[in-house]
Amino acid sequence: MTADMDAQTRRVYLVLLLAPLVVLAFVYLYPLSRVLWLSVTVPTPGFGNYERLLTSSAIQGVIWTTVRICVLTTMLALVIGYAIAYAAVHLRGWRGELLLFFVLLSFWLSVLIRAFAWLTLLQSRGVINTWLMDFGLIDAPLALIRNEFGVVLGMVHYMIPYAALPLFANMRGIDPRLVPAARGLGAGPVQSFLKVYLPMSLPGLISAGILTFIFSLGFYVTPALLGGGKTLMISEYIAVQINDTLNWGLGSMLATTLLLSIFALLAVMSIFVDLRKVFGVK
Amino acid sequence: MDNRATQTFQDDCLELLRQQTEGRRVNRRAFLSTLAALGVSPALFRLTPAHAQAKEIVVVNWGGDAVTAMTAAWAVPFNKNAGFKAVIDGSGPSSAKIKAMVDSGKVTWDVVDRNLIAALELGRQNLLEKIDYSIVDKSKVRPEHAGEWGLGSYIYSNVLAYQTDAFGGRTPKTWADFYNTKDFPGKRTMRKHIDGQLETALLADGVAPDKLYPLDVKRALDKIKSIKKDVIFWATGAESQQVFRDREVVMGSVFNTRALVAKRESNGKVDFHYNQASAWVGAWLTPRGNPAGKEVFKFMAATQDPASQVELFKLLGNGPVNPAAAAMVPADMKTLDPGSPENYAMQIPADPEWYAANSATVLNQYLEAIS
Repeated sequence: MTADMDAQTRRVYLVLLLAPLVVLAFVYLYPLSRVLWLSVTVPTPGFGNYERLLTSSAIQGVIWTTVRICVLTTMLALVIGYAIAYAAVHLRGWRGELLLFFVLLSFWLSVLIRAFAWLTLLQSRGVINTWLMDFGLIDAPLALIRNEFGVVLGMVHYMIPYAALPLFANMRGIDPRLVPAARGLGAGPVQSFLKVYLPMSLPGLISAGILTFIFSLGFYVTPALLGGGKTLMISEYIAVQINDTLNWGLGSMLATTLLLSIFALLAVMSIFVDLRKVFGVK
Repeated sequence: MDNRATQTFQDDCLELLRQQTEGRRVNRRAFLSTLAALGVSPALFRLTPAHAQAKEIVVVNWGGDAVTAMTAAWAVPFNKNAGFKAVIDGSGPSSAKIKAMVDSGKVTWDVVDRNLIAALELGRQNLLEKIDYSIVDKSKVRPEHAGEWGLGSYIYSNVLAYQTDAFGGRTPKTWADFYNTKDFPGKRTMRKHIDGQLETALLADGVAPDKLYPLDVKRALDKIKSIKKDVIFWATGAESQQVFRDREVVMGSVFNTRALVAKRESNGKVDFHYNQASAWVGAWLTPRGNPAGKEVFKFMAATQDPASQVELFKLLGNGPVNPAAAAMVPADMKTLDPGSPENYAMQIPADPEWYAANSATVLNQYLEAIS
């Protein structure tokens, strides 16, 4: 009797699940597969577009720039996010909550508004440079923006919440008595952090790292606004191929490559961490 | 604006007009009363589907306030006489849309606002009607603006703009000065797109204006790379104006329309000239099998009226393509008109043939060189 009920309930669940799956397949997976299909059919059938990954110095340059900036962004966001999460977990009462509130506040701000805010602050007649010059600390304005430095700065700023929040969730699960216990057993502050706390927060670091890196790969607006036109990342390059040069085969090839790289990255990471946990399914 | 990589000149004009309208420089009330006289509201225009009704000529441009501007300058006067009524539609006539429309045999557009490069690219794929020069008057445009599939509709330029107080009284007069970072120190701005940019490098490098095309791409890119560290590349017209406003740059290679607004808002601290500028032309094209048939050429012919082109110049900053219009431009605007005989003679017309053949490849090379 109960087994029957279970089977019936399962059927109901399956039907309920089917509806969104059909919608998703129709409006998302099908068009997506059509786009990906272009990469092996346009302009001629075959893997000619993919060959250019190996032969075109322009494409390799764009990919290298993208990877370099994303790795740098991820590392910096993790370091800062770690510090914020650590403080938020260990501050008592409202202080920790206030800290998290500020992290969330920047999380809610549009990427455009943030980019323009950085422009206002950092351009050669911006707030920071004017202030530094008024105090006689520098003679000529520093090039803080419209270069790769500006791009990384803007991206790290955007990515800090993505790094800090998973780390915060992870650190809350670490028993706060462990570090004092290590200290009591004679470990110094650095040693007890490195040997006890850091290993326990490693799953949080890895999941925050994956999230940050994957999000960074798709950045478009921030490099375009803060890079002074000289930092060309892969999303912008794809947009040019689709809209401007009408080189759809090349554009969709790069899109496919980006998508597959992310899947590959997740596959490798799944060896080390439980991905369902990373994305909050579990 | 949602696509920064591919903002066209037309997109930029709309944005510019929108800003000015909000700043009350353009008389919005005049627009609205014209439209009221026509019995429609601007909002209605934008929602009108692009289906050609009986006795209608559907003119498609890039939307927004260019709909109202072209309606005021061109559609309203045309509709007073003709049996067919011109309706301006802002759907954005991209090449992909035109191709899809003609291929499917369901053409709903009659005239589209593009340029002579698109005329060649699409015309050679048999997607366009040929311009009927028995109706359109070839003598009302310069020879280079009368294409087989495209008719010049307005002129815009890529000019040298500069801060007048940045070089101790001297001003950059040529592209050679633009590339001379020793005597004219400071940051410059150039467009993150090839249109009109490679020309600056070659002219600076001593190539004679009449020997410019076909462009020597390698030589141009080498020259641009030599000053790259001093260049900020702009993607949208608004950005090119902003870097002047913030005094991030001392000079720039920008649209004449943006240079003009920068000059006005800075009270002349920013100035520009047409010497060695690259002259571009917007053009009317007709998709093959358009619903209104030959009637479209009557509309094109009507837009050749010099007074209406001066009207558009006042509204959008796009220069009249008809040389006869120059005399009707108000005295205080004459030096600013890219289509005036004096200014046009100083410029080098961009070669649509070269761009149609090389644009896609060279754009990627350019992006590689500057990044």
